[in-house]
Amino acid sequence: MEEFLQNYGFLLVTLVQQSLLAMSLYFPLSAGQLSLASPGFYALGGYVAAIMATADYFAPWRDALGWAIFPLEWLIAGLVSALLAFLVGVPALRLRGIYLALATIAFVEILRVVCLNLAITGGAIGIFGIPQLFESRWGYIWIFGPLLVITLIFSYRLDRSRVGRAFKAIREDELAAGAMGINPTHYKVLSFVIGAVLAGIVGAMSAPFLNTWNARQGTFDASISYLAYVLIGGGRSLWGPMLGAVLLASLPELLRPLKDARLIINGMVLVIASIYLPFGIAGALQRLKLSTLKRYASLRGGR
Amino acid sequence: MDAVQFLQNLLNGISIGSVYAIFALGYTLVFSILGIINFAHGAVFTLGAYLTYSLAVGQFGIGGILADLQIPFQLSFPLSLLIGAILSGVAGVVVERCAFRPLRFRGADPLLALVSSLGVALVTVNVIQYLVGSEIYSFPSDVYGDIRPAFVLHFGEKLVVIRTVQIIIFAVSIVVLALLGYLISWTRIGKALRAVAENASTASLLGINVDRFILYTFFLSGFLGGMAGSLVGTSFGIAGPYFGVAYGLKGLAVIVMGGLGSIPGAVLGGMVIGLAEAFVPADYSAYKEAVAFAFLFVVLLVRPQGLLGRSQIQKV
Repeated sequence: MEEFLQNYGFLLVTLVQQSLLAMSLYFPLSAGQLSLASPGFYALGGYVAAIMATADYFAPWRDALGWAIFPLEWLIAGLVSALLAFLVGVPALRLRGIYLALATIAFVEILRVVCLNLAITGGAIGIFGIPQLFESRWGYIWIFGPLLVITLIFSYRLDRSRVGRAFKAIREDELAAGAMGINPTHYKVLSFVIGAVLAGIVGAMSAPFLNTWNARQGTFDASISYLAYVLIGGGRSLWGPMLGAVLLASLPELLRPLKDARLIINGMVLVIASIYLPFGIAGALQRLKLSTLKRYASLRGGR
Repeated sequence: MDAVQFLQNLLNGISIGSVYAIFALGYTLVFSILGIINFAHGAVFTLGAYLTYSLAVGQFGIGGILADLQIPFQLSFPLSLLIGAILSGVAGVVVERCAFRPLRFRGADPLLALVSSLGVALVTVNVIQYLVGSEIYSFPSDVYGDIRPAFVLHFGEKLVVIRTVQIIIFAVSIVVLALLGYLISWTRIGKALRAVAENASTASLLGINVDRFILYTFFLSGFLGGMAGSLVGTSFGIAGPYFGVAYGLKGLAVIVMGGLGSIPGAVLGGMVIGLAEAFVPADYSAYKEAVAFAFLFVVLLVRPQGLLGRSQIQKV
């Protein structure tokens, strides 16, 4: 066990972390909004945590609070992300269609360029030597694991609440939802902010986990990976994003012997999965279950 | 900024802006017909640059499996540019066949076309990397034949320098724009393309083979993307297989700015962003890459349908 964790602990924690990032896309998508902003908020949260953990300015805070600085970092990362998501979301979400995706691409790129050039974010080198919360990489499962559980419970409860039903109504037909007295912009912004807060907190937790933080954390490539997790896992099911994240994030590891060709295969997987699994793996499983149940029922019926 | 500096920035901006315009037109053509953004457009841009390089120079570095290969023939630059762009058009058709057509025939969620086109982009870029490595390729200065590298205009003490490459890319872009404008406005093919863009099912009822015109559109789009890639590549060098990604994203800002699906809008948007980048003061040049995206935000706030776009009427 010890040896297994030594070798695969980092990968396992990474899978949980990637699942969380996939979930951060799931919330806006449950209201029918395609957001590619998660890497931006993830990077932002990480910078907040990294700056609070290393900058001289925060030294008295660190001395006074001890380990409690970590939860404070998560809180502040979440708040900053929420504020920024609100500012980005309100103009972009008044519009229908592809505009949010484009605005979030712009947001991620602007943030990346700004972080590359500011002194406080360490420029191109970034911030390194971020103090650790646990002794081993594997230890981080004790923060990412509970966050994933909380997120899943939250999302399960949300689906069955008034807000969750409003999200679904907007996803199915925004005009009809508006006619029923739901304010689409209000709920679209809310779904976007929830996703952003989650990504920000995951970023703040990841900064010590990865030890260094730089502008490469928030890129367009990362946006695409998270989107692929959700759509290939299944964007309409709570488990889909997790399933997609675990499969796709471990794919490079499984394909490691192929070296350079593995990104080619990764791309092919995206193409083939979008053609043959249009509702994601979770959707395909659901259909399989339904058809099996039907067959079973017809057997029982003696037809 | 004095008048001479202004002139210099203006010329730089018009030159790069014209390339942005033809690149963004590739996005706009596909968007106007399918209502989907083709995320493989940046990869076609990269592919075009490498194809033109291979045809015109044909000498590869040590990174990929084509290491130290020398292609036995070299074409003149104009011919390489043209053939490179045509082959990129063929690549556009392949993108349609792999990433768009299967999804369209299955009636899948349009969001999935984003993922499948990104998948094709990932494959293309990594195949290029596999073949030629990730090093920088630049076109030798004598690739255009025996012409002077730059023109210098004297204004008293001050100088305005126009690189010959800038003139070439501007001239080529204008010719391409004019031909495209003629094709779309004055020919039968253009008429049919406009009909498909207006309403595909009505066009199909009137006897237009919609799928064939979608293929034509992707060919044109790939042609424009590959041409733009080659022009940027000759001007600034090819900075590795991922160099199209940044331009691909910038192209999105251009089309939102001009109005999604609007052809004059894409040209205007390209020019505006090219000029805006050229006028970024030298002290802030590190922020140049963010200018296009800042514009995108302003447009979303102030005029979401873009400068020349039609505001959409939502049909119930």
